[in-house]
Amino acid sequence: NSPAPLPERAIYGFALFLGSWFGFILYLIWAYVPETWLFSFGLTYWPQRYWAVALPAYLLVAIGIGYVLLFGINMMSTAPLNSTHTVTDNYAKKQQQKKFQEEAIPALRDIPISEVNRMFFLPEK
Amino acid sequence: EERRYRSASGAPIALRRRQHSASCRELAVRCPRLQLRSLSAATSAVWLAAYGLFVLSENSMVLSAAIFITLIGLIIYLHFVKIDQESLLVIGSLGIQVTSSYASGKESTTFIEMGRVKDVVINEAIHMQKVIYYLCILLQDPGDPQGVSEVVPLFQSSKPRLDCLIEVYKSCQEILEQRKTAPQSS
Repeated sequence: NSPAPLPERAIYGFALFLGSWFGFILYLIWAYVPETWLFSFGLTYWPQRYWAVALPAYLLVAIGIGYVLLFGINMMSTAPLNSTHTVTDNYAKKQQQKKFQEEAIPALRDIPISEVNRMFFLPEK
Repeated sequence: EERRYRSASGAPIALRRRQHSASCRELAVRCPRLQLRSLSAATSAVWLAAYGLFVLSENSMVLSAAIFITLIGLIIYLHFVKIDQESLLVIGSLGIQVTSSYASGKESTTFIEMGRVKDVVINEAIHMQKVIYYLCILLQDPGDPQGVSEVVPLFQSSKPRLDCLIEVYKSCQEILEQRKTAPQSS
């Protein structure tokens, strides 16, 4: 799953590039070209012109609301002060103790909060 | 004795420690009282808004409603919201009692027996766009002494800063250590 460039990705990228340019030119034609000219070409089945302005307006308001929504979702998913998630989690509960070897760096593990507190706040004289 | 500290938001609080016996300690944190200036600011804001509504609507009931709302709101605030003092009573072999006393005199207590208490620690957590230190009691299931079943945060409305919390933590740990050396009695 590396982000390195691949031939398939180059083709997808170019197809998206052409597709987005085509979509943009089509949107401009639909929004600006008078109806009679379009009808004379035989293309009569278009959505209402109202949407040419409404859709960008909706999109911009949605992006603005998205900022507020993301902030709110962040606040809601923060663990409250009385939950055990502030102290431990599934991985820490299931961890296995590695044997202590002399003169080797101790293995990485989640230290229980009682031990951390004793180390920080109860200085050994 | 009593010492002054600051809360997380900067308000002055006071910690009072009393030792009743070798295995019983009481730690009480007193919050600042309701300030006259904030009370008068809130009252004048409500009454000015009510007077503005009265000028717009020519209905004198708005004024009496505003007076009523102010009185009822003050009583509800003093009885349910404004905490005057939070205290922690640690009795060595018995348990921990947490008391909150409100400004109207109401007291609400919670007692946790020592068998359920795993430890009293200072934890740090994210609270309203800030990271705060708070003291909490870790509870354990009687059948599973290794796991933490519940976390009970203490001093929620006074929110002392780390220097005050370290004092409380040291006092509690001195008592909690005694239960390791003392023989367990069921």
